[in-house]
Amino acid sequence: MKNNDSDELIIANKELAFQNSEKVKREAELIIANKELDFQNSEKKDRAAELIIANKELDFQNSEKEHRAAELIIANKELVFQNEEKERRAAELIIANKELIFQNEEKERRAAELIIANKELIFQNGEKERRAAELIIANKELAFQNKEKEKRAKELIIANKGLKKAEDDIRKLNDELEQKVIERTSQLESVNKELESFSYSVSHDLRAPIRAINGYTRIIVEDYADKFDVSGIKILDAIINNSKKMGELIDDLLAFSKLGRKQVSLSEINMLDLVYAIRDEFVFEEGENIPEFKIGALLPAMGDQSLIKQVWINLISNGIKYSKYKEKTTIEIDAHQTGNFVVYKVKDEGAGFDMEYYDKLFGVFQRLHSQNEFEGTGIGLAIVQKIVQRHNGTVWATSTLNEGTSFYFSLPSISAKI
Amino acid sequence: MIYDNIEILFVEDSADDAALTIRALIKSGFTNKLHHVMDGAEALDFMYCRGVYINRKMIDHPKLILLDLKMPKVSGIQVLEKLKSDPAFSSIPVVMLTSSNEGPDIDKCYALGANSYIVKPVDSDNFFKTIKEIGLYWLILSQHSD
Repeated sequence: MKNNDSDELIIANKELAFQNSEKVKREAELIIANKELDFQNSEKKDRAAELIIANKELDFQNSEKEHRAAELIIANKELVFQNEEKERRAAELIIANKELIFQNEEKERRAAELIIANKELIFQNGEKERRAAELIIANKELAFQNKEKEKRAKELIIANKGLKKAEDDIRKLNDELEQKVIERTSQLESVNKELESFSYSVSHDLRAPIRAINGYTRIIVEDYADKFDVSGIKILDAIINNSKKMGELIDDLLAFSKLGRKQVSLSEINMLDLVYAIRDEFVFEEGENIPEFKIGALLPAMGDQSLIKQVWINLISNGIKYSKYKEKTTIEIDAHQTGNFVVYKVKDEGAGFDMEYYDKLFGVFQRLHSQNEFEGTGIGLAIVQKIVQRHNGTVWATSTLNEGTSFYFSLPSISAKI
Repeated sequence: MIYDNIEILFVEDSADDAALTIRALIKSGFTNKLHHVMDGAEALDFMYCRGVYINRKMIDHPKLILLDLKMPKVSGIQVLEKLKSDPAFSSIPVVMLTSSNEGPDIDKCYALGANSYIVKPVDSDNFFKTIKEIGLYWLILSQHSD
């Protein structure tokens, strides 16, 4: 190693000796250079001073430039803003233009519409004028009709007055009629009352003297019989019997006259029960024929039971009476339906009568047999007829002299409900 | 006249009816003391002891009244009404007599309190029998109730 180092040191020393020589060369150069440098430095100083001035000038120019740049920036900003404004205005203008265009279109459309509307108005005006003309005609027509109506109304008023008068007349007539009806009714009522009191008087006052005749004659017969011979007593008996008969006549006549006034009250009559009851009520004296009753199926009917009972009593007692000269008495009772009526039959096998005198059969006080033959007042059948007629029924008879008689009477059946 | 102990008051305006009735009653053995008056007014005088009956004793009631219906002045119905509405006489039996069964009298008489009603028939025989029976009936009933 030390060898390496020493070699290197020799080299380094030689180098150093070269470098020293160089240094002295260089130092001389440096002095020249320094002198150059000094010159240059002063040059440089001049130049620096010039540069400073130039820099100052530059600075000023720079600041001027900056100033100008700032102004330019502002101016540019202003320009940009103005440009934007311009653009905005342009856009607005475009919009406004569009709007204008639209409005123009609208105006045109409106104008077109107006034209149509005008045409329409013109047409309508024409229509109106036509209508007005028609209205005038119609008004004239109306006025005419009104006049007609007025005329009619006047005529109607006159007609109404006529009607009213007719109505009043009718009402007056009705009132008069009603008054007349009331008067007639009250007259009828008073006539009825008169009749009633007449009946009462007849019954009361006519009977009293007859009762006296009858009573006094009885006294003669009872107390003074010894003063009379047989024919005298016979005469007195005749007086008694006749007065008795007169009493019966009065009673029958009253009963008959009462029938016309009596209210007929209809109800359902069980005819079989009624006829059996009547049959059982008959009383027979000694020596009298007890009748043989043949009673069939008697249908019920509508009627006034007390009045119909009288019909049966009169017809049955008639049959019994006119059979008294026969060996036996047969009373046959039957019924059959004919339409809305039930027809009842009472048949006897008694004396009968000549049908030639049939029209006298039901007359008041009309008799087809003598009093000696068959006693009676001649009112029984008249009563029968009146009762049956008051029931809207009819009564009739068929007879053969010496063989017997059949009496028929009809009454409304239950189903008829008159 | 003395009107003591009258048992039957007979009110009848017809002299004939009265004579025949009285005779028939007597003949039938009807011996009770009977007084006959000719109309309703006299009947009320008798009952109330007025007029000719002023001396009669009010408490001396008849046992039976036979009262004709139809009479002049005061009718039988009026007498009946008066007597039956008076508590003093209302219990005395009244038998109505009439010549007729006409009119509404029968119902009215019963409504006013008549005890019986006899229609006088023309043939007196039946009438006298009836009046005797009915008269006796009410007479006996009236005496029993005393």
